[in-house]
Amino acid sequence: MRKIFKQKRIKTGHFLDGGIESVINIFLVLIIIVCSFKAFNWILFVADWTVVTKNLHLYALGSYPREYQWRPLTWLLLLFSTILLTLFKNKSKLVRRFIYCIWIILIPAGIILHSGGIGLAPVQTRYWGGLSLTILLTICSAAFALPIGILLALGRQSDMFLVRNPCKLYVELVRAIPLIAVLFFGQLLIPLFLPVDIELNRVLRAIIAFTLFSAAYVAEDIRSGLQSIPKTQKEAAQALGLSNIHVMQFIVLPQALRIALPALTNQAIGLLQNTSLMAILGLVELLGITRSLLANPEFIGRYLEAYIWIGFVYWFTCTAMALISNRLEKDLSPDKSDRINL
Amino acid sequence: MKSAIEAKRITKTFGHGNMALDNVSLDVTSGEILVIMGPSGSGKSTLIRTFNGLESIDSGKLEILGIPLDSDKNQQQVSLIRRQVGMVFQQFNLFPHLSILENITLAPIQVQGCSAAEAETKAFELLIQMGIEDQARKHPNQLSGGQQQRAAIARALALNPKIMLFDEPTSALDPEKVKEVLDAIKSLANKGMTMVVVTHEIGFAREVSDRVVFMDEGKVIEISSPNTFFIDAKEERSRRFLNQVM
Ligand SMILES: Nc1ncnc2c1ncn2[C@@H]1O[C@H](COP(=O)(O)OP(=O)(O)O)[C@@H](O)[C@H]1O
Ligand SMILES: [Mg+2]
Repeated sequence: MRKIFKQKRIKTGHFLDGGIESVINIFLVLIIIVCSFKAFNWILFVADWTVVTKNLHLYALGSYPREYQWRPLTWLLLLFSTILLTLFKNKSKLVRRFIYCIWIILIPAGIILHSGGIGLAPVQTRYWGGLSLTILLTICSAAFALPIGILLALGRQSDMFLVRNPCKLYVELVRAIPLIAVLFFGQLLIPLFLPVDIELNRVLRAIIAFTLFSAAYVAEDIRSGLQSIPKTQKEAAQALGLSNIHVMQFIVLPQALRIALPALTNQAIGLLQNTSLMAILGLVELLGITRSLLANPEFIGRYLEAYIWIGFVYWFTCTAMALISNRLEKDLSPDKSDRINL
Repeated sequence: MKSAIEAKRITKTFGHGNMALDNVSLDVTSGEILVIMGPSGSGKSTLIRTFNGLESIDSGKLEILGIPLDSDKNQQQVSLIRRQVGMVFQQFNLFPHLSILENITLAPIQVQGCSAAEAETKAFELLIQMGIEDQARKHPNQLSGGQQQRAAIARALALNPKIMLFDEPTSALDPEKVKEVLDAIKSLANKGMTMVVVTHEIGFAREVSDRVVFMDEGKVIEISSPNTFFIDAKEERSRRFLNQVM
Protein backbone atom coordinates (compact mmCIF):
# COMPACT_ATOMS: atom_id res chain seq x y z
CA MET A 1 0.00 0.00 0.00
CA ARG A 2 1.80 3.05 -1.14
CA LYS A 3 0.06 6.34 -0.95
CA ILE A 4 1.89 9.22 -2.48
CA PHE A 5 0.57 12.66 -1.91
CA LYS A 6 2.10 15.07 -4.31
CA GLN A 7 1.41 18.59 -3.37
CA LYS A 8 3.38 20.58 -5.84
CA ARG A 9 1.23 23.51 -6.70
CA ILE A 10 3.02 26.36 -8.31
CA LYS A 11 1.55 29.57 -7.07
CA THR A 12 1.21 31.75 -10.12
CA GLY A 13 -2.02 33.33 -9.18
CA HIS A 14 -0.65 36.44 -7.54
CA PHE A 15 2.29 37.02 -9.79
CA LEU A 16 0.88 39.37 -12.35
CA ASP A 17 -2.61 40.28 -11.30
CA GLY A 18 -2.11 44.01 -11.09
CA GLY A 19 -1.64 46.10 -7.98
CA ILE A 20 1.34 46.71 -5.79
CA GLU A 21 2.37 43.05 -5.64
CA SER A 22 3.08 42.73 -9.34
CA VAL A 23 5.07 45.97 -9.30
CA ILE A 24 7.24 44.55 -6.52
CA ASN A 25 7.56 41.25 -8.37
CA ILE A 26 8.65 42.88 -11.60
CA PHE A 27 11.09 45.06 -9.72
CA LEU A 28 12.62 42.00 -7.97
CA VAL A 29 12.92 40.09 -11.23
CA LEU A 30 14.71 43.07 -12.81
CA ILE A 31 17.15 43.22 -9.90
CA ILE A 32 17.88 39.50 -10.22
CA ILE A 33 18.43 39.78 -13.98
CA VAL A 34 20.77 42.75 -13.63
CA CYS A 35 22.73 41.11 -10.83
CA SER A 36 23.17 37.79 -12.60
CA PHE A 37 24.17 39.56 -15.78
CA LYS A 38 26.81 41.56 -13.94
CA ALA A 39 28.02 38.49 -12.08
CA PHE A 40 28.37 36.38 -15.23
CA ASN A 41 30.01 39.23 -17.07
CA TRP A 42 32.54 39.57 -14.26
CA ILE A 43 33.17 35.84 -13.97
CA LEU A 44 33.58 35.30 -17.71
CA PHE A 45 35.23 38.46 -18.99
CA VAL A 46 36.54 40.74 -16.25
CA ALA A 47 38.00 38.35 -13.69
CA ASP A 48 41.51 37.05 -14.12
CA TRP A 49 41.43 33.46 -12.96
CA THR A 50 45.16 32.81 -13.40
CA VAL A 51 45.47 33.02 -9.62
CA VAL A 52 43.39 29.86 -9.54
CA THR A 53 44.38 28.03 -12.70
CA LYS A 54 48.11 28.44 -12.21
CA ASN A 55 47.98 27.27 -8.63
CA LEU A 56 45.54 24.37 -8.58
CA HIS A 57 48.20 22.05 -7.19
CA LEU A 58 48.89 24.52 -4.37
CA TYR A 59 45.20 24.75 -3.48
CA ALA A 60 45.00 21.01 -3.44
CA LEU A 61 48.24 20.04 -1.71
CA GLY A 62 50.08 23.16 -0.50
CA SER A 63 53.82 23.07 -0.96
CA TYR A 64 54.02 19.31 -0.66
CA PRO A 65 57.26 18.12 -2.32
CA ARG A 66 56.66 17.48 -5.99
CA GLU A 67 58.08 13.95 -6.13
CA TYR A 68 55.71 12.80 -3.38
CA GLN A 69 52.60 14.66 -4.47
CA TRP A 70 51.03 11.45 -5.73
CA ARG A 71 50.54 10.44 -2.09
CA PRO A 72 48.11 13.10 -0.87
CA LEU A 73 46.59 13.10 -4.36
CA THR A 74 45.91 9.39 -4.09
CA TRP A 75 44.31 10.02 -0.75
CA LEU A 76 42.08 12.79 -2.09
CA LEU A 77 41.08 10.57 -5.00
CA LEU A 78 40.36 7.67 -2.67
CA LEU A 79 38.30 10.00 -0.51
CA PHE A 80 36.40 11.35 -3.48
CA SER A 81 35.60 7.91 -4.84
CA THR A 82 34.51 6.73 -1.40
CA ILE A 83 32.15 9.70 -1.23
CA LEU A 84 30.70 8.80 -4.62
CA LEU A 85 30.43 5.16 -3.59
CA THR A 86 28.64 6.17 -0.40
CA LEU A 87 26.19 8.38 -2.24
CA PHE A 88 25.51 5.70 -4.79
CA LYS A 89 22.28 3.97 -3.90
CA ASN A 90 23.32 0.55 -2.77
CA LYS A 91 20.97 -1.94 -1.27
CA SER A 92 23.27 -4.74 -0.20
CA LYS A 93 24.23 -4.84 3.44
CA LEU A 94 27.61 -6.31 2.59
CA VAL A 95 28.49 -3.41 0.29
CA ARG A 96 27.42 -0.97 2.98
CA ARG A 97 29.66 -2.64 5.56
CA PHE A 98 32.51 -2.57 3.08
CA ILE A 99 32.02 1.18 2.60
CA TYR A 100 32.04 1.80 6.35
CA CYS A 101 35.32 -0.12 6.54
CA ILE A 102 36.85 2.07 3.82
CA TRP A 103 35.82 5.16 5.75
CA ILE A 104 37.59 3.89 8.83
CA ILE A 105 40.70 2.98 6.84
CA LEU A 106 40.74 6.43 5.21
CA ILE A 107 41.90 8.09 8.41
CA PRO A 108 45.13 6.16 9.09
CA ALA A 109 45.70 6.02 5.33
CA GLY A 110 45.51 9.82 5.17
CA ILE A 111 47.99 10.25 7.99
CA ILE A 112 50.45 7.71 6.59
CA LEU A 113 50.23 8.99 3.03
CA HIS A 114 50.90 12.51 4.23
CA SER A 115 53.58 11.89 6.83
CA GLY A 116 55.28 8.87 5.37
CA GLY A 117 56.30 5.69 7.13
CA ILE A 118 55.83 2.03 6.13
CA GLY A 119 58.38 2.42 3.37
CA LEU A 120 57.24 5.88 2.32
CA ALA A 121 59.72 8.72 2.72
CA PRO A 122 58.84 11.04 5.61
CA VAL A 123 57.52 14.49 4.73
CA GLN A 124 57.48 17.11 7.45
CA THR A 125 54.21 18.73 8.37
CA ARG A 126 55.34 22.20 7.36
CA TYR A 127 55.09 21.10 3.74
CA TRP A 128 51.51 19.90 4.15
CA GLY A 129 48.81 22.24 2.99
CA GLY A 130 45.83 23.13 0.88
CA LEU A 131 42.60 21.21 0.64
CA SER A 132 44.22 17.92 1.63
CA LEU A 133 45.36 19.46 4.93
CA THR A 134 41.94 21.03 5.53
CA ILE A 135 40.22 17.71 5.01
CA LEU A 136 42.81 15.80 7.01
CA LEU A 137 42.38 18.18 9.95
CA THR A 138 38.60 17.87 9.74
CA ILE A 139 38.39 14.11 9.38
CA CYS A 140 40.95 13.35 12.08
CA SER A 141 39.47 15.80 14.57
CA ALA A 142 35.95 14.57 13.91
CA ALA A 143 37.03 10.95 14.20
CA PHE A 144 38.64 11.55 17.59
CA ALA A 145 35.98 13.95 18.86
CA LEU A 146 33.15 11.46 18.27
CA PRO A 147 34.24 8.72 20.70
CA ILE A 148 35.41 11.27 23.27
CA GLY A 149 32.09 13.09 22.92
CA ILE A 150 30.20 9.81 23.39
CA LEU A 151 32.18 9.05 26.53
CA LEU A 152 31.57 12.55 27.87
CA ALA A 153 27.85 12.28 27.18
CA LEU A 154 27.65 8.89 28.88
CA GLY A 155 29.75 10.24 31.74
CA ARG A 156 27.32 13.09 32.27
CA GLN A 157 24.56 10.53 32.73
CA SER A 158 26.52 8.40 35.14
CA ASP A 159 25.31 7.86 38.70
CA MET A 160 28.84 8.28 40.00
CA PHE A 161 29.55 11.76 41.30
CA LEU A 162 33.24 11.54 40.42
CA VAL A 163 32.47 10.67 36.82
CA ARG A 164 29.47 12.90 36.21
CA ASN A 165 30.82 16.16 37.55
CA PRO A 166 34.20 16.23 35.81
CA CYS A 167 32.45 15.47 32.50
CA LYS A 168 29.97 18.24 33.13
CA LEU A 169 32.72 20.65 34.15
CA TYR A 170 34.73 19.84 31.03
CA VAL A 171 31.83 20.44 28.70
CA GLU A 172 30.82 23.68 30.37
CA LEU A 173 34.39 24.92 30.51
CA VAL A 174 35.24 24.21 26.88
CA ARG A 175 31.99 25.72 25.70
CA ALA A 176 32.87 28.89 27.56
CA ILE A 177 36.20 29.28 25.73
CA PRO A 178 36.35 30.61 22.17
CA LEU A 179 37.88 28.21 19.66
CA ILE A 180 40.66 30.58 18.70
CA ALA A 181 41.82 30.62 22.32
CA VAL A 182 41.85 26.82 22.36
CA LEU A 183 43.91 26.86 19.17
CA PHE A 184 46.42 29.33 20.58
CA PHE A 185 46.58 27.12 23.64
CA GLY A 186 47.24 24.15 21.39
CA GLN A 187 49.99 25.84 19.38
CA LEU A 188 51.74 27.75 22.14
CA LEU A 189 51.04 26.08 25.46
CA ILE A 190 50.93 22.35 24.73
CA PRO A 191 54.67 22.36 23.85
CA LEU A 192 55.43 24.05 27.19
CA PHE A 193 53.77 21.23 29.10
CA LEU A 194 55.69 18.55 27.29
CA PRO A 195 59.30 17.54 27.95
CA VAL A 196 61.73 19.35 25.67
CA ASP A 197 62.73 16.29 23.70
CA ILE A 198 59.18 15.46 22.66
CA GLU A 199 58.25 17.68 19.79
CA LEU A 200 54.65 17.39 18.72
CA ASN A 201 54.24 18.67 15.22
CA ARG A 202 51.91 21.55 14.48
CA VAL A 203 49.31 19.52 12.64
CA LEU A 204 49.03 17.08 15.49
CA ARG A 205 48.69 19.93 17.98
CA ALA A 206 45.95 21.46 15.83
CA ILE A 207 44.13 18.12 15.68
CA ILE A 208 44.36 17.78 19.45
CA ALA A 209 42.99 21.28 19.97
CA PHE A 210 40.11 20.78 17.51
CA THR A 211 39.34 17.40 19.02
CA LEU A 212 39.21 18.69 22.59
CA PHE A 213 37.05 21.60 21.49
CA SER A 214 34.62 19.66 19.30
CA ALA A 215 34.25 16.84 21.80
CA ALA A 216 32.38 19.14 24.18
CA TYR A 217 29.84 20.09 21.52
CA VAL A 218 29.55 16.54 20.22
CA ALA A 219 28.89 15.43 23.80
CA GLU A 220 25.96 17.80 24.09
CA ASP A 221 24.48 16.68 20.76
CA ILE A 222 24.74 13.05 21.82
CA ARG A 223 23.36 13.79 25.25
CA SER A 224 20.24 15.26 23.71
CA GLY A 225 20.00 12.15 21.55
CA LEU A 226 20.34 9.93 24.63
CA GLN A 227 17.65 11.86 26.45
CA SER A 228 15.21 11.42 23.60
CA ILE A 229 15.27 7.61 23.88
CA PRO A 230 12.29 6.57 25.99
CA LYS A 231 13.01 4.78 29.26
CA THR A 232 10.86 1.89 28.08
CA GLN A 233 13.49 0.93 25.51
CA LYS A 234 16.05 0.51 28.25
CA GLU A 235 13.60 -1.44 30.39
CA ALA A 236 12.67 -3.78 27.57
CA ALA A 237 16.35 -4.53 27.03
CA GLN A 238 16.99 -5.01 30.75
CA ALA A 239 14.02 -7.33 30.99
CA LEU A 240 15.76 -9.53 28.41
CA GLY A 241 18.68 -9.89 30.77
CA LEU A 242 21.07 -7.66 28.83
CA SER A 243 23.82 -6.10 30.93
CA ASN A 244 23.95 -2.34 31.31
CA ILE A 245 26.82 -2.10 28.84
CA HIS A 246 24.94 -4.17 26.26
CA VAL A 247 21.81 -2.09 26.75
CA MET A 248 23.87 0.99 25.93
CA GLN A 249 25.75 -0.63 23.07
CA PHE A 250 22.88 -2.30 21.24
CA ILE A 251 19.76 -0.36 22.16
CA VAL A 252 20.27 3.14 23.49
CA LEU A 253 23.40 4.40 21.75
CA PRO A 254 22.52 3.34 18.17
CA GLN A 255 19.16 5.07 18.42
CA ALA A 256 20.63 8.13 20.13
CA LEU A 257 23.34 8.49 17.49
CA ARG A 258 20.80 8.33 14.71
CA ILE A 259 18.78 11.08 16.33
CA ALA A 260 21.91 13.15 16.93
CA LEU A 261 23.15 12.68 13.37
CA PRO A 262 21.82 15.97 11.89
CA ALA A 263 23.31 17.92 14.79
CA LEU A 264 26.58 16.02 14.47
CA THR A 265 26.70 16.84 10.75
CA ASN A 266 26.32 20.47 11.71
CA GLN A 267 29.30 20.11 14.03
CA ALA A 268 31.36 18.46 11.31
CA ILE A 269 30.60 21.20 8.81
CA GLY A 270 31.41 23.82 11.43
CA LEU A 271 34.64 21.99 12.14
CA LEU A 272 35.63 22.06 8.48
CA GLN A 273 35.08 25.78 8.34
CA ASN A 274 36.82 26.36 11.64
CA THR A 275 39.98 24.69 10.37
CA SER A 276 40.46 27.93 8.44
CA LEU A 277 41.33 29.57 11.77
CA MET A 278 44.60 27.66 11.57
CA ALA A 279 45.62 30.07 8.81
CA ILE A 280 46.07 32.68 11.53
CA LEU A 281 48.36 30.29 13.34
CA GLY A 282 50.48 29.67 10.29
CA LEU A 283 49.19 26.44 8.81
CA VAL A 284 48.83 26.73 5.05
CA GLU A 285 45.54 24.91 4.75
CA LEU A 286 43.01 26.10 2.19
CA LEU A 287 42.70 29.64 3.55
CA GLY A 288 46.38 29.79 4.52
CA ILE A 289 47.54 28.90 1.03
CA THR A 290 45.18 31.50 -0.43
CA ARG A 291 46.62 34.17 1.82
CA SER A 292 50.17 33.30 0.90
CA LEU A 293 49.27 33.24 -2.81
CA LEU A 294 47.76 36.69 -2.52
CA ALA A 295 51.04 37.90 -0.96
CA ASN A 296 52.81 36.85 -4.16
CA PRO A 297 53.42 39.98 -6.36
CA GLU A 298 52.32 38.03 -9.43
CA PHE A 299 48.77 37.77 -8.13
CA ILE A 300 48.54 41.02 -6.24
CA GLY A 301 45.02 42.40 -5.99
CA ARG A 302 43.30 39.19 -7.10
CA TYR A 303 41.44 38.96 -3.80
CA LEU A 304 37.98 38.53 -5.24
CA GLU A 305 38.95 35.72 -7.58
CA ALA A 306 40.91 33.84 -4.95
CA TYR A 307 38.29 34.13 -2.26
CA ILE A 308 35.38 33.28 -4.56
CA TRP A 309 37.32 30.23 -5.63
CA ILE A 310 37.98 28.92 -2.12
CA GLY A 311 34.43 29.87 -1.15
CA PHE A 312 33.34 27.55 -3.91
CA VAL A 313 35.69 24.80 -2.70
CA TYR A 314 34.40 25.10 0.87
CA TRP A 315 30.82 25.05 -0.40
CA PHE A 316 31.51 21.97 -2.50
CA THR A 317 33.12 20.11 0.41
CA CYS A 318 30.39 21.03 2.86
CA THR A 319 27.70 19.97 0.41
CA ALA A 320 29.42 16.63 0.00
CA MET A 321 29.37 16.23 3.78
CA ALA A 322 25.70 17.10 4.00
CA LEU A 323 24.86 14.61 1.25
CA ILE A 324 26.80 11.85 2.98
CA SER A 325 24.98 12.61 6.20
CA ASN A 326 21.64 12.38 4.39
CA ARG A 327 22.64 9.03 2.95
CA LEU A 328 23.72 7.79 6.37
CA GLU A 329 20.48 8.98 7.92
CA LYS A 330 18.52 7.02 5.33
CA ASP A 331 20.70 3.94 5.82
CA LEU A 332 20.15 4.01 9.55
CA SER A 333 16.49 4.88 9.43
CA PRO A 334 14.11 2.10 10.38
CA ASP A 335 11.35 3.75 8.35
CA LYS A 336 12.54 2.11 5.19
CA SER A 337 9.11 1.65 3.77
CA ASP A 338 5.55 2.56 4.43
CA ARG A 339 3.97 2.56 7.81
CA ILE A 340 0.89 0.52 8.41
CA ASN A 341 -1.67 1.77 10.87
CA LEU A 342 -1.55 0.06 14.24
CA MET B 1 3.34 -27.74 44.10
CA LYS B 2 6.58 -25.86 43.54
CA SER B 3 6.30 -22.15 44.03
CA ALA B 4 7.45 -19.94 41.13
CA ILE B 5 6.87 -16.56 42.72
CA GLU B 6 6.69 -15.98 46.43
CA ALA B 7 5.97 -12.48 47.70
CA LYS B 8 5.62 -11.79 51.44
CA ARG B 9 4.43 -8.40 52.65
CA ILE B 10 6.31 -6.47 49.96
CA THR B 11 6.01 -2.68 49.91
CA LYS B 12 7.10 -0.07 47.43
CA THR B 13 6.85 3.66 47.84
CA PHE B 14 7.41 6.24 45.12
CA GLY B 15 8.53 9.73 45.98
CA HIS B 16 6.35 11.45 48.53
CA GLY B 17 4.75 8.66 50.50
CA ASN B 18 2.86 7.37 47.47
CA MET B 19 2.46 3.71 48.37
CA ALA B 20 2.32 1.79 45.10
CA LEU B 21 2.55 -1.57 46.89
CA ASP B 22 1.19 -1.90 50.41
CA ASN B 23 2.05 -5.20 52.13
CA VAL B 24 1.37 -7.38 49.11
CA SER B 25 1.60 -11.11 49.69
CA LEU B 26 1.16 -13.47 46.78
CA ASP B 27 2.13 -16.98 45.74
CA VAL B 28 2.26 -18.22 42.20
CA THR B 29 2.80 -21.93 41.80
CA SER B 30 4.65 -23.43 38.90
CA GLY B 31 2.41 -23.81 35.85
CA GLU B 32 -0.25 -21.51 37.24
CA ILE B 33 -1.89 -18.72 35.27
CA LEU B 34 -2.60 -15.74 37.44
CA VAL B 35 -4.61 -12.77 36.24
CA ILE B 36 -4.25 -9.41 38.00
CA MET B 37 -7.08 -6.91 37.72
CA GLY B 38 -7.74 -3.57 39.28
CA PRO B 39 -8.37 0.06 38.50
CA SER B 40 -5.71 2.26 36.95
CA GLY B 41 -3.01 3.28 39.41
CA SER B 42 -3.70 0.38 41.76
CA GLY B 43 -0.13 -0.90 41.52
CA LYS B 44 -0.56 -3.78 39.05
CA SER B 45 2.34 -2.75 36.86
CA THR B 46 4.52 -1.98 39.84
CA LEU B 47 3.84 -5.44 41.24
CA ILE B 48 4.72 -7.42 38.15
CA ARG B 49 7.72 -5.20 37.48
CA THR B 50 9.14 -6.23 40.85
CA PHE B 51 9.01 -9.84 39.63
CA ASN B 52 11.91 -9.27 37.21
CA GLY B 53 13.68 -6.57 39.15
CA LEU B 54 12.58 -3.60 37.02
CA GLU B 55 11.31 -2.13 40.29
CA SER B 56 13.11 -2.79 43.55
CA ILE B 57 11.08 -3.39 46.69
CA ASP B 58 11.43 -1.32 49.85
CA SER B 59 10.65 -4.07 52.32
CA GLY B 60 9.27 -7.58 52.49
CA LYS B 61 10.50 -10.83 51.02
CA LEU B 62 10.41 -11.74 47.37
CA GLU B 63 11.62 -14.97 45.82
CA ILE B 64 11.46 -15.76 42.12
CA LEU B 65 12.13 -19.40 41.18
CA GLY B 66 13.84 -19.80 44.53
CA ILE B 67 16.18 -16.86 43.95
CA PRO B 68 15.74 -14.08 46.51
CA LEU B 69 15.24 -10.54 45.18
CA ASP B 70 16.06 -8.40 48.18
CA SER B 71 15.52 -4.72 48.62
CA ASP B 72 19.24 -4.11 48.09
CA LYS B 73 19.58 -4.77 44.40
CA ASN B 74 22.02 -7.60 43.87
CA GLN B 75 22.90 -7.37 40.18
CA GLN B 76 23.84 -11.02 39.92
CA GLN B 77 20.53 -12.23 41.32
CA VAL B 78 18.63 -9.80 39.13
CA SER B 79 20.33 -10.95 35.93
CA LEU B 80 19.91 -14.59 36.93
CA ILE B 81 16.19 -13.99 37.31
CA ARG B 82 15.80 -11.97 34.13
CA ARG B 83 17.16 -14.86 32.07
CA GLN B 84 14.29 -17.01 33.30
CA VAL B 85 11.48 -14.47 33.35
CA GLY B 86 10.09 -13.01 30.12
CA MET B 87 8.11 -9.80 30.04
CA VAL B 88 5.65 -8.34 27.54
CA PHE B 89 4.72 -4.68 27.77
CA GLN B 90 1.60 -2.72 26.98
CA GLN B 91 3.41 -0.62 24.35
CA PHE B 92 5.31 -3.63 22.87
CA ASN B 93 8.65 -1.80 23.32
CA LEU B 94 10.24 -3.51 20.34
CA PHE B 95 13.58 -2.02 19.32
CA PRO B 96 12.72 0.17 16.32
CA HIS B 97 16.22 0.18 14.84
CA LEU B 98 16.43 -3.61 14.63
CA SER B 99 14.53 -6.01 12.39
CA ILE B 100 12.03 -8.37 14.01
CA LEU B 101 14.54 -11.18 13.68
CA GLU B 102 17.28 -9.09 15.31
CA ASN B 103 14.89 -8.09 18.08
CA ILE B 104 14.37 -11.75 18.88
CA THR B 105 17.94 -13.01 18.47
CA LEU B 106 19.66 -10.19 20.38
CA ALA B 107 19.23 -11.64 23.86
CA PRO B 108 19.97 -15.29 22.98
CA ILE B 109 23.19 -14.20 21.27
CA GLN B 110 24.34 -11.65 23.84
CA VAL B 111 22.99 -13.17 27.05
CA GLN B 112 23.07 -16.91 26.44
CA GLY B 113 25.98 -16.89 24.02
CA CYS B 114 24.11 -18.76 21.28
CA SER B 115 25.55 -18.69 17.78
CA ALA B 116 23.71 -16.50 15.29
CA ALA B 117 22.52 -19.53 13.32
CA GLU B 118 21.23 -21.28 16.42
CA ALA B 119 19.42 -18.14 17.58
CA GLU B 120 17.83 -17.61 14.17
CA THR B 121 16.55 -21.17 13.95
CA LYS B 122 14.96 -20.75 17.36
CA ALA B 123 13.59 -17.32 16.39
CA PHE B 124 11.90 -18.73 13.29
CA GLU B 125 10.32 -21.50 15.34
CA LEU B 126 8.86 -18.86 17.63
CA LEU B 127 7.76 -16.64 14.75
CA ILE B 128 5.96 -19.62 13.16
CA GLN B 129 4.35 -20.35 16.52
CA MET B 130 3.19 -16.71 16.61
CA GLY B 131 2.12 -16.83 12.95
CA ILE B 132 4.33 -13.97 11.78
CA GLU B 133 7.28 -15.76 10.18
CA ASP B 134 6.88 -13.69 7.00
CA GLN B 135 7.56 -10.51 8.99
CA ALA B 136 11.02 -11.60 10.18
CA ARG B 137 13.06 -9.21 8.05
CA LYS B 138 10.84 -6.18 8.55
CA HIS B 139 11.29 -3.44 11.08
CA PRO B 140 8.76 -3.04 13.91
CA ASN B 141 7.07 0.05 12.48
CA GLN B 142 6.19 -1.91 9.34
CA LEU B 143 4.02 -4.29 11.37
CA SER B 144 0.50 -3.86 12.68
CA GLY B 145 0.04 -3.50 16.43
CA GLY B 146 -1.12 -7.08 16.82
CA GLN B 147 1.86 -8.36 14.88
CA GLN B 148 4.22 -6.19 16.92
CA GLN B 149 2.86 -7.55 20.17
CA ARG B 150 3.19 -11.12 18.91
CA ALA B 151 6.78 -10.33 17.90
CA ALA B 152 7.33 -8.98 21.42
CA ILE B 153 5.99 -12.23 22.86
CA ALA B 154 8.35 -14.19 20.60
CA ARG B 155 11.22 -11.99 21.78
CA ALA B 156 10.39 -12.71 25.42
CA LEU B 157 10.12 -16.44 24.70
CA ALA B 158 13.49 -16.63 22.96
CA LEU B 159 15.33 -17.14 26.24
CA ASN B 160 13.14 -20.14 27.14
CA PRO B 161 11.76 -18.42 30.24
CA LYS B 162 10.10 -20.34 33.04
CA ILE B 163 7.75 -17.47 33.86
CA MET B 164 6.07 -14.99 31.53
CA LEU B 165 4.82 -11.60 32.73
CA PHE B 166 2.26 -9.68 30.67
CA ASP B 167 1.45 -6.07 31.53
CA GLU B 168 -1.81 -5.20 29.78
CA PRO B 169 -0.66 -6.82 26.53
CA THR B 170 -3.77 -5.88 24.57
CA SER B 171 -4.59 -2.44 25.97
CA ALA B 172 -2.78 -0.55 23.21
CA LEU B 173 -4.38 -2.54 20.40
CA ASP B 174 -7.30 -1.86 18.11
CA PRO B 175 -10.25 -4.04 19.14
CA GLU B 176 -9.99 -6.25 16.07
CA LYS B 177 -6.34 -7.08 16.87
CA VAL B 178 -6.96 -8.09 20.48
CA LYS B 179 -8.02 -11.63 19.65
CA GLU B 180 -4.89 -12.61 17.74
CA VAL B 181 -2.71 -11.60 20.68
CA LEU B 182 -4.94 -13.27 23.26
CA ASP B 183 -4.92 -16.45 21.16
CA ALA B 184 -1.14 -16.40 21.14
CA ILE B 185 -1.11 -16.04 24.93
CA LYS B 186 -3.68 -18.83 25.29
CA SER B 187 -1.53 -21.17 23.21
CA LEU B 188 1.26 -20.56 25.70
CA ALA B 189 -1.08 -21.22 28.59
CA ASN B 190 -1.99 -24.57 27.08
CA LYS B 191 1.70 -25.51 27.05
CA GLY B 192 1.88 -25.14 30.81
CA MET B 193 3.83 -21.89 31.03
CA THR B 194 3.69 -20.08 34.36
CA MET B 195 2.12 -16.72 33.64
CA VAL B 196 1.16 -13.54 35.42
CA VAL B 197 -1.15 -11.46 33.25
CA VAL B 198 -2.37 -7.97 34.02
CA THR B 199 -5.42 -7.52 31.85
CA HIS B 200 -8.90 -6.07 31.60
CA GLU B 201 -10.05 -8.82 29.23
CA ILE B 202 -12.69 -10.57 31.31
CA GLY B 203 -13.45 -13.27 28.77
CA PHE B 204 -9.80 -14.19 28.60
CA ALA B 205 -9.45 -14.20 32.39
CA ARG B 206 -12.46 -16.46 32.83
CA GLU B 207 -11.34 -18.89 30.20
CA VAL B 208 -7.65 -19.18 30.94
CA SER B 209 -6.78 -18.13 34.45
CA ASP B 210 -6.44 -20.36 37.49
CA ARG B 211 -6.83 -17.49 39.94
CA VAL B 212 -7.71 -13.82 39.75
CA VAL B 213 -6.05 -11.22 41.97
CA PHE B 214 -7.90 -7.96 42.50
CA MET B 215 -5.80 -4.96 43.56
CA ASP B 216 -6.73 -1.47 44.66
CA GLU B 217 -4.58 1.32 46.08
CA GLY B 218 -1.51 -0.88 46.28
CA LYS B 219 -3.24 -3.62 48.27
CA VAL B 220 -4.38 -7.07 47.27
CA ILE B 221 -8.11 -6.94 47.98
CA GLU B 222 -9.10 -10.40 46.87
CA ILE B 223 -7.67 -13.59 45.41
CA SER B 224 -10.32 -15.93 44.02
CA SER B 225 -10.91 -18.50 41.35
CA PRO B 226 -12.27 -16.89 38.18
CA ASN B 227 -15.69 -18.46 38.68
CA THR B 228 -16.04 -17.00 42.16
CA PHE B 229 -14.56 -13.66 41.19
CA PHE B 230 -16.68 -12.92 38.13
CA ILE B 231 -19.95 -14.34 39.39
CA ASP B 232 -19.85 -13.83 43.09
CA ALA B 233 -16.87 -11.74 44.19
CA LYS B 234 -16.17 -11.84 47.90
CA GLU B 235 -15.31 -8.21 48.42
CA GLU B 236 -17.57 -5.21 48.00
CA ARG B 237 -14.72 -3.27 46.30
CA SER B 238 -14.26 -6.00 43.69
CA ARG B 239 -17.95 -6.10 42.92
CA ARG B 240 -18.03 -2.34 42.41
CA PHE B 241 -15.08 -2.57 40.01
CA LEU B 242 -16.67 -5.42 38.06
CA ASN B 243 -19.91 -3.52 37.78
CA GLN B 244 -18.04 -0.69 36.15
CA VAL B 245 -16.13 -2.76 33.62
CA MET B 246 -18.62 -5.50 32.72
N1 LIG C 1 8.16 5.60 38.33
C1 LIG C 1 7.19 6.07 39.15
N2 LIG C 1 7.40 7.20 39.86
C2 LIG C 1 6.46 7.68 40.68
N3 LIG C 1 5.26 7.11 40.88
C3 LIG C 1 4.98 5.98 40.20
C4 LIG C 1 5.94 5.40 39.29
N4 LIG C 1 5.40 4.28 38.78
C5 LIG C 1 4.16 4.17 39.32
N5 LIG C 1 3.92 5.18 40.18
C6 LIG C 1 2.71 5.35 40.97
O1 LIG C 1 2.44 4.14 41.62
C7 LIG C 1 1.05 3.87 41.60
C8 LIG C 1 0.78 2.54 40.94
O2 LIG C 1 1.12 2.63 39.57
P1 LIG C 1 1.02 1.41 38.58
O3 LIG C 1 1.68 0.24 39.19
O4 LIG C 1 1.54 1.86 37.26
O5 LIG C 1 -0.54 1.17 38.50
P2 LIG C 1 -1.37 0.32 37.44
O6 LIG C 1 -0.42 -0.43 36.59
O7 LIG C 1 -2.24 -0.56 38.30
O8 LIG C 1 -2.19 1.28 36.68
C9 LIG C 1 0.37 5.03 40.89
O9 LIG C 1 -0.12 5.91 41.86
C10 LIG C 1 1.49 5.66 40.12
O10 LIG C 1 1.28 7.04 40.01
MG1 LIG D 1 -0.13 -0.34 34.46
